[in-house]
Amino acid sequence: MASADKTINTDVPEKDVFAIHFLQSLSNLRIQNLFNSPDTTNYRVRKIKKAAYVSMARAAGGTSRLWSRALLRRAAKGNNKIVRFPRRKRKVTWKISSKRRRSDQRAPVVEDAAERLRNLVPGGGGMETSKLMEETAHYIKCLSMQVKVMQCLVDGLSPK
Amino acid sequence: MDLTGGFGARSGGVGGGPYREPIGLESLHLGDEFRQLATTTSLTPDNAGGSFTALLELPPTQAVELLHFTDSLSSSQAAAAATTGIGGGDIIIAPPPPPLHSFGGTTLTFPSNSALMERAARFSVIATEQQQNNGNYHNNETPTSSVPSNSSDRVKTEPPETDSAMENQSLCPNQTNRSGKRKDFDKKVKSSTKKNKSSEETEKLPYVHVRARRGQATDSHSLAERARREKINARMKLLQELVPGCDKIQGTALVLDEIINHVQSLQRQVEMLSMRLAAVNPRVDFNLDTILASENASLMDGSFSGTAMQLAWPHQALETEQSFHQRQLQPPPPPPQQWPFDGLNQPVWGREEDQAHGNDHSNLMAVSENVMVGSANLHPNQVKMEL
Repeated sequence: MASADKTINTDVPEKDVFAIHFLQSLSNLRIQNLFNSPDTTNYRVRKIKKAAYVSMARAAGGTSRLWSRALLRRAAKGNNKIVRFPRRKRKVTWKISSKRRRSDQRAPVVEDAAERLRNLVPGGGGMETSKLMEETAHYIKCLSMQVKVMQCLVDGLSPK
Repeated sequence: MDLTGGFGARSGGVGGGPYREPIGLESLHLGDEFRQLATTTSLTPDNAGGSFTALLELPPTQAVELLHFTDSLSSSQAAAAATTGIGGGDIIIAPPPPPLHSFGGTTLTFPSNSALMERAARFSVIATEQQQNNGNYHNNETPTSSVPSNSSDRVKTEPPETDSAMENQSLCPNQTNRSGKRKDFDKKVKSSTKKNKSSEETEKLPYVHVRARRGQATDSHSLAERARREKINARMKLLQELVPGCDKIQGTALVLDEIINHVQSLQRQVEMLSMRLAAVNPRVDFNLDTILASENASLMDGSFSGTAMQLAWPHQALETEQSFHQRQLQPPPPPPQQWPFDGLNQPVWGREEDQAHGNDHSNLMAVSENVMVGSANLHPNQVKMEL
């Protein structure tokens, strides 16, 4: 069991990498002149949130993680950008049906939770449960890092 | 029938199943063949003549091997093995391959099976009477009439023969079963120490070598299930360490709930913070070029660690305030290929990198706060510049 832990790699870059990416995305937003005359705050909020997620995905390792890959793809679809990803060795999509049918038999407690996780973690739909958990661990680390960065920003920027 | 009485409990489902059964089951496995033979065919040999004499030349192990082959492999393989196993080209089994194949489970033809039974009977007799193997013509008459009574002998002689035939049998399925996962059954587990051996799992290799614990099913499916469950448990432990407060919770369901709650709370936090940022944002200009100009002036840290040297622009890691101002006037250096950003922000990132790549948490906090403070201070200056 201990040897298995060593092979699972959930390293996440330092906070500054996240900070750089986030600040860059924010300045990109700024350059787009969105904030001069916003119609609704919602639009701005959504843009910032999306920028946060995209920058997090980029900072966390680009396309080498399944969740970040799915996140970036989702974001690019929204922008109608054509995104090219490096070709993966295996296509994951066809495995969903075959594994889902059998997974209901396997420890239904775990599989219910896995289903909920799949809805939460981006790109979870094509993953098997064990892979899903690995991705979740990395995702949690990255999310907490991003939250810290944003917290610092907000604290620095808020009026004293 | 002795056979049916002895093996009545055993279903006939073993015939096409996996071949990696423990030794104890092997004898029963063969017993099925004989039961099938006994129940579906007549016991009187119809096929007399040359085939018997030909068959008698075969040594017992090869005959048993033939029996196994009829059950496990296709007819072509069996025929090939039979012809090669015999060695001499002149001795050819008179019944052609189709009868061997038909034994495999489809409708059985009478002559062939009786021939097989003859073979089996003969070679079990031969096995027990190994010292009398001179020509074997004496044994011609005895097995033909005493086939039913030989069944009990056959059963007894099976176990010694199975060991020799096991190797042959286990090799053949090996060649056919080579796919993604391969499990090595450790047959010694049952006879070894009474402690449970932990199952090992290597996640790097394409093969998963799993050892069956003592007293557990050695079915390939259950092994796969167990390997998978242990994989999942290992990852769950990892997640437990990650999520605060999950160590004390007992039970996988609650732990998983906690993990899901944690992920949801993190996502909600991101949304909340982005709302706050949006509220704050219009006041502040995120133009980092000017921000860092002032910030570098205020931040005279000597905190450029060695890691900053490893970055794309190591030669700038140690620049001082003066050189920074000088560089500001000069055209920015070409960006490295690590940063796939558009041309607008690339020079900016160069400078920001130098400051932002301190290792400490406090360092980053200081940097970010100074950046923001600097930006807030710069606002009137920037307004002047833009005007």
